[in-house]
Amino acid sequence: MARPWLVSVLCAALLAASYVPARAAGAVLVMNSNEATLSVIDLATHRELRRIPVLREPHHWALTPDGHDLLVADTGANELLLLDPSSFELRRRVPVADPYQLGFSPDGKVLVVNGLARGQVDVYEAGSYRLLKRFPLKSMPSHLAYTPDSSTVFVSLQGTDRLAAIDLRRMEVLWTAEVGKNPAGVLWLNGRVLVANMGSDDVAVVNPADGRVERRIHTGKGAHQLFLSPDGKLLYVNNRLDVNSVTVLDPASLNLLRTYRLPGGPDDIAFAPDGKLWFTLRFVNKVAVLDPASGQYDIIGVGRSPHGIFLNPRAAVPAAVASR
Amino acid sequence: MTAPFDTLAGWLQEHALLPLLYALGLMQWEDISFGWALFAVYGAAQVVLTFAICMPLEHWRPVERWPDARAVTVDILYTFFSRVGLLPLVTFVLFYQAQVALNGFLADQGWVPPTLERLFPFLLGRPVLTFCLYVVILDFSDYWRHRLSHVFGWWYALHALHHAQRQMTFWSDDRNHLLDEIIAFAWFTAVALLIGIPPMQFPLLVLLLRLLESLSHANVRLSFGWIGERLLVSPRFHRAHHGTTASGRQSVNYGAILPWWDMLFRTADFSPTYVPTGDPTAEEALATGSYAAQQWAGLRRMLRIRGAPLNDVTLRTQVGTPEGGGRYNLKQV
Ligand SMILES: [Zn+2]
Ligand SMILES: [Zn+2]
Repeated sequence: MARPWLVSVLCAALLAASYVPARAAGAVLVMNSNEATLSVIDLATHRELRRIPVLREPHHWALTPDGHDLLVADTGANELLLLDPSSFELRRRVPVADPYQLGFSPDGKVLVVNGLARGQVDVYEAGSYRLLKRFPLKSMPSHLAYTPDSSTVFVSLQGTDRLAAIDLRRMEVLWTAEVGKNPAGVLWLNGRVLVANMGSDDVAVVNPADGRVERRIHTGKGAHQLFLSPDGKLLYVNNRLDVNSVTVLDPASLNLLRTYRLPGGPDDIAFAPDGKLWFTLRFVNKVAVLDPASGQYDIIGVGRSPHGIFLNPRAAVPAAVASR
Repeated sequence: MTAPFDTLAGWLQEHALLPLLYALGLMQWEDISFGWALFAVYGAAQVVLTFAICMPLEHWRPVERWPDARAVTVDILYTFFSRVGLLPLVTFVLFYQAQVALNGFLADQGWVPPTLERLFPFLLGRPVLTFCLYVVILDFSDYWRHRLSHVFGWWYALHALHHAQRQMTFWSDDRNHLLDEIIAFAWFTAVALLIGIPPMQFPLLVLLLRLLESLSHANVRLSFGWIGERLLVSPRFHRAHHGTTASGRQSVNYGAILPWWDMLFRTADFSPTYVPTGDPTAEEALATGSYAAQQWAGLRRMLRIRGAPLNDVTLRTQVGTPEGGGRYNLKQV
């Protein structure tokens, strides 16, 4: 650059004028569950920009239906952090008992919070975060998925090999049914509930009416999480123990399309606009950015035991950091 | 600085624990097992570092020299049992369901355990300071747990196992009765319900604290000087607690990390002496028995003493012991 001093002055002026960032290049927020921090990574350069301290043990996140707040669940601190999804500035803390996995209903009316360590599923009113109903469900409620009409939420009960269906209109448990060993990830797909069975190597296709398992799709040992690509064309399954730790299925037929070898315990996935997939690697304290076409991946160091990952292509990268 | 430990814990989780849990059909514990892997790796690091620091010190200026130090061996076992994760595993297996029930019950009552940061917002964004404050509060709580374990006869019967060692070394810190450990665990749980759990992102600070606790048992003539003795618990300070004349109901220097509580509650003894350790009232099995023999002897002693006032029983058993003689009260401040 010909006149670096000019750039510096401009950056300083920009910073002094306001907190409006120089570019909205996009950023990724990673929940380092065993380090009580959130890593902010530049989407474009893959550089870690900063680490935000939280209180104890951040695991998962949910975006409010209006996109206004990003909720990060700090399980060990018993609180939800409401962040600006663009700057990741903290707006508010809401005390909530043991929030592990959480999600808003598609109609935006309720927030369901799974308390894995206390065997309870809580239904909160969105916005006010007032507890509407608590369901004691044994045991270890871990993941959840809604029907598109928001009438029902399905919760995997990791400790008792069951899936529970909760009617959110009448606020009662419809059924619980055995679906496989240690069910974890849950996904609504084409009128069926898919459940990844971590204690075995399959995804169960469950009838939402009664919990009957209609089919089992073999993926890999320790099937853990399910993610549908944003275009709905690919279904990704992360397998905890398999060398082929990522399985890709065709969402319509559930036929195997391909696998990827991604060591280090791939857990959650975020999809980038450029088609790349961002995985948290639980056991190696890293994030992998996978190019699905080539199978090549880039590695970014983050904090201890990264779990949830939130990607915002419009997130602000602060000017000072971006220019550094 | 922690990267090698974290890498090792991750490796242990991915290549040993997960395949084991999978084979045993226990994959619901996969998240918890990673926490355990971290605990085990950092625990092993604690043992190695403690050994590297305390061993030379004990050679340099030992308080006592023993021609036969066989009684130390069992303390090494206690250390590994406790630091490398077997003891936490036992308490976890025994109490997981109880904790779930308690957490669920409290959530039903509307009780959400706060954090110190929520109680004192100036701590927000200051995790190291928060951690230090937790250490102070937990050390205070532990002072009272320890002190009460010397008050109740049945409780001291268990704690006597810790005091029975006449060949006290840096390995002796974890020498405790299993029931005593369980009480300590319940005690900590109760405090955590009031102020939350401490931030856990500082394993190296935890490591230093555990090092200090081990060091305080070391067989070394080491005092931290007039000021140092009043800031942190030294080998000399804790040795006074283990003194043959101070064992039992009325001892001194109950603090584990900070001597402040002993100063505040008038149980501190700063006299510059290095006393012989042990509990003359304890039966021989508690001192030199195997792990199982010690645990059994402690349990038997508790059942025998339960109900009877401590002084009656212990004074009776003290008669005829060479070092006994009911001199305990001398050390009471
Ligand atoms: Zn004691
Ligand atoms: Zn001691």
